[in-house]
Amino acid sequence: MMLMSQAHGLLVITAEEAEQLGRVSGLTIDPRTRSVVGVRLSGAPKHATAIAWDRIEGVGRSAVVVRSVTAAGAGRDDLPTHHEILGKRVLTENGSEHGTVKDIAFDTTTGHIHTLYTALGDISGNHLLGVGGYAVVVRGA
Amino acid sequence: MITPLLASELTKRVVVTLSGEAVAQVKDTVFDFKAGRITGFTLSGRGLLAGPLKVSLPFSGVHAIGPFAVMVPSAAVLTERKAVLAAHEAEHGQVIGAPVLTDRGTEAGTVLDVVIEAGSSGRLIGFEIAMKEDTGTGHERRRAFIPRGEALAVSGRAMIVPAHARHFVADDLPSFGAQVEAFRRHTARPSHLTPTTTEEAQA
Repeated sequence: MMLMSQAHGLLVITAEEAEQLGRVSGLTIDPRTRSVVGVRLSGAPKHATAIAWDRIEGVGRSAVVVRSVTAAGAGRDDLPTHHEILGKRVLTENGSEHGTVKDIAFDTTTGHIHTLYTALGDISGNHLLGVGGYAVVVRGA
Repeated sequence: MITPLLASELTKRVVVTLSGEAVAQVKDTVFDFKAGRITGFTLSGRGLLAGPLKVSLPFSGVHAIGPFAVMVPSAAVLTERKAVLAAHEAEHGQVIGAPVLTDRGTEAGTVLDVVIEAGSSGRLIGFEIAMKEDTGTGHERRRAFIPRGEALAVSGRAMIVPAHARHFVADDLPSFGAQVEAFRRHTARPSHLTPTTTEEAQA
């Protein structure tokens, strides 16, 4: 388990070439699978600004490892639209406000979203319904 | 448990899809006073220069009306403006400011706002009125809530409430939910014999 805030800024390195591709600037979440499906990079060459989660070998305390430079480029066209999730307003499906997303705990192997942390309490990742430009929508209590 | 909501508070409320996108904001709430429910919403765009939208939101497309937002499953539920406005144009919007009369012919006050039930029912549960009271020393006006009665009639000219509804007047919105439930229990028997809608028969 890792916090999204801890993943931010991690170095992204290829295992085959030991080439540094950039740093993690964000994680893309697919609310349908309730998991992380992509990594956004800052300071990366144009062809590798986003990497699909299934291309990632490992996520550790100090780096994110991708198999190779070519592997990093594959599969990213299928990624859903990226919406920044940290700091975003949380709404329940009943139309109530539930603070903002302070942080997110996710499984570093499967990418599964475990918990959304808000100032008004923790929300199970299984309750995630949508991540959009305006809000994160969760199932009503 | 009924959570009451003032219809005027819905104006400018953001319309959000379950996938988290803001698609519009509420411009006006359109009521079907006969059926006692919301027909739908006319919409305007979001932002400073946004005007009225060509699409509207029929109530069938609403997932829930909440204290912060009106939730919809997706932007696909928005339809032509005409679909919401056409059917109830005559009854639309005219009730605010209309005098309130009891079925005994007493003037109870004037309509300030419409009270609806939060959630997904779209039920119109009552009215906020400026009460007219004879205190002996002159007329005093106070704000109060009256449940929508079974025999209520509403037109652009006046609103008629059953005389017994006055016993269930609440001074503030939170206690109004409980008052409405009490009112429903009180009127449960006659409405059971002659239900006006299936909804009310179940209530």
